[in-house]
Amino acid sequence: MENVKEKLTGCFALVFPDLDPAQYETASAQNMGDWDSIAQLRLLTAIGEAFDREIDFEEFEGATSFEALEKALQVQ
Amino acid sequence: MRFEEALRIVSRRTGGKTRTVHLFCGFVPLHLETFLKAHLALRFPEQNIALKTGLFGDLEGNISQAAAEGAEGSVVILEWSDLDQRLGFRTSSGWSAQTLSDIVLQVEEKLRRLEAGLILLASHLPLALAPPTIGLPPFSYLPPSQAGDSELQLNALLAGFLHRLASHEGVRIVSAALLAVTSPQSARHDTKMDLRAGFPYTVTHADALAELSARCLFPASPKKGLITDLDRTLWKGILGDAGVEGISWSLEGKSQAHALYQQVLASLAESGLLVAIASKNDPAFVEAALRRPDLLIDPARIFPIEAGWGPKSESVGRILAAWNIGADSVIFVDDSPMELAEVAEKYPGIECLRFPSEDPGAILDLLWQLRARFGRNEIREEDRLRLASLRASASLKEASATEAPADFLARLGAKVTFESAAGDPRAFELVNKTNQFNLNGIRYTEAEWKDLLRRPGAFVAMVSYQDRFGPLGRIAVLGGCMRNDLCYVDIWVMSCRAFSRQIEFQSLNWLFEKTQTSEIGFQFKPTDRNGPLQTFFAQCFSGNTPPEGEVVLAADSYKNICPALSHQVEDKWKM
Repeated sequence: MENVKEKLTGCFALVFPDLDPAQYETASAQNMGDWDSIAQLRLLTAIGEAFDREIDFEEFEGATSFEALEKALQVQ
Repeated sequence: MRFEEALRIVSRRTGGKTRTVHLFCGFVPLHLETFLKAHLALRFPEQNIALKTGLFGDLEGNISQAAAEGAEGSVVILEWSDLDQRLGFRTSSGWSAQTLSDIVLQVEEKLRRLEAGLILLASHLPLALAPPTIGLPPFSYLPPSQAGDSELQLNALLAGFLHRLASHEGVRIVSAALLAVTSPQSARHDTKMDLRAGFPYTVTHADALAELSARCLFPASPKKGLITDLDRTLWKGILGDAGVEGISWSLEGKSQAHALYQQVLASLAESGLLVAIASKNDPAFVEAALRRPDLLIDPARIFPIEAGWGPKSESVGRILAAWNIGADSVIFVDDSPMELAEVAEKYPGIECLRFPSEDPGAILDLLWQLRARFGRNEIREEDRLRLASLRASASLKEASATEAPADFLARLGAKVTFESAAGDPRAFELVNKTNQFNLNGIRYTEAEWKDLLRRPGAFVAMVSYQDRFGPLGRIAVLGGCMRNDLCYVDIWVMSCRAFSRQIEFQSLNWLFEKTQTSEIGFQFKPTDRNGPLQTFFAQCFSGNTPPEGEVVLAADSYKNICPALSHQVEDKWKM
């Protein structure tokens, strides 16, 4: 499970390079102005590569926070 | 490149200047934007890359407005849906026979408007145009194995559009053939992403298209010379063993791949590439072999020919001296890994490529590599003159060894011509590729170059030269701007082919006279490679190379060091 968090953190660092790493775990589309639909697609593409799996964008549509993404990735 | 790597690259910041490039397409650029930025960042590692994508959905409007915006170039990505939405996958307007006829008419009209906009844009900045990369939708009643009337008409319209645009300076069409190698048609369309988010490309296709577009817009400087081995390279067989008639390059001799190599060399030599031979062979045998009438490269285009039994690196050294260019501008081709290693050790900058004589497929790959290394956007008169002027320089060197330099130069019958270089693409090319006699080593983008020419008081002069050994063509550029009474020069380059003819002295004479100024300020910077310019400046500035910065040369002190010059001067330039 730590592996999921570590990889997800790496994806956040790439897609949101200006975000303070201490804020990754509480980050969400609601509290981040630059987390829009484009950033969501970038993030999901980066996650797909990092986890070496095909991401179904519709399945992850509601996963718009670090926490929700982590949960969704742990379930799969 | 993986998407993760592209994100990593685009998040880097450098302290350098920012290069702004347009990316125009009819869809949300998404990953294409990321990959293009990453590939441009790799191409220009010391610069920050800014991509302007314009207003979403307004491809034509973005193209027409871009001409007025400051940028270094534009990448325009076309898809069929940009020519008519009904050719995309996100509309539901039907594909009846009547609709298809209308689509063809609309595409024709749209291409006409786009052509006008793209020509206008290309007159301001270079642009790379990628023709549609996603196939047409299944609109025809015909089986997919059969091309239908509408499809053929659309393809013909597109081909005509691309062909007309390709003839315009500044327009570069991204090669569909090369893209097909790196991104197969079947792996390009991400249908789900297209329907869901309006981005039509798979990640791999976005990467391939971005890479090729970046290379097409900003091609790497071509190499200048190729040194080739002979046995098992230019031809099949060992000349010393098989004899002149025993070597071959033909289908009959099962050596056609060598003929292809000769043809590529001949074609590149015609475009201005320098070709030389470095071979361990008896010189008399080599001479006889090169006289064979079926040779596919004209031996007159090969210079110098180094045949003998010494180390290849020594031959390469003599060739580089005759060409007067750096090893890093040259490729050495030989079938022997040992010879390649020996040359690479002596000249680490030279690119050594093995000729895989036993494998025709690998030879063809090598030929494509050579095309990539030596390919250029256009061929100028100077490219055709290059070899002749190098031969002339060699003759000049030989002749000058027997008498005093001043007497010799006086008998050359030399003529130096000055004319405006504004609008001459040769000036831009010379400034960006000359290393040795270069005032400061500054390279310019096309947009920066155009800005320089628009400065208040700007001037750029082109210098041409000819003497009894033949014309050298346009060999120097001298430019800057007038600042009140001071003439300020920040551009001064001269081709190495023109050294030892006192053209640099004549150029300054001309500039002092033309501007009637008492001083010329130079924006000088010593670099690792501009030794000849530094040597000349040491002569101008009391024996010492001045430090980096603006240095001022007074007309009075210049007169004291300028030798008596015997050139005839033709002044076609108006201040």
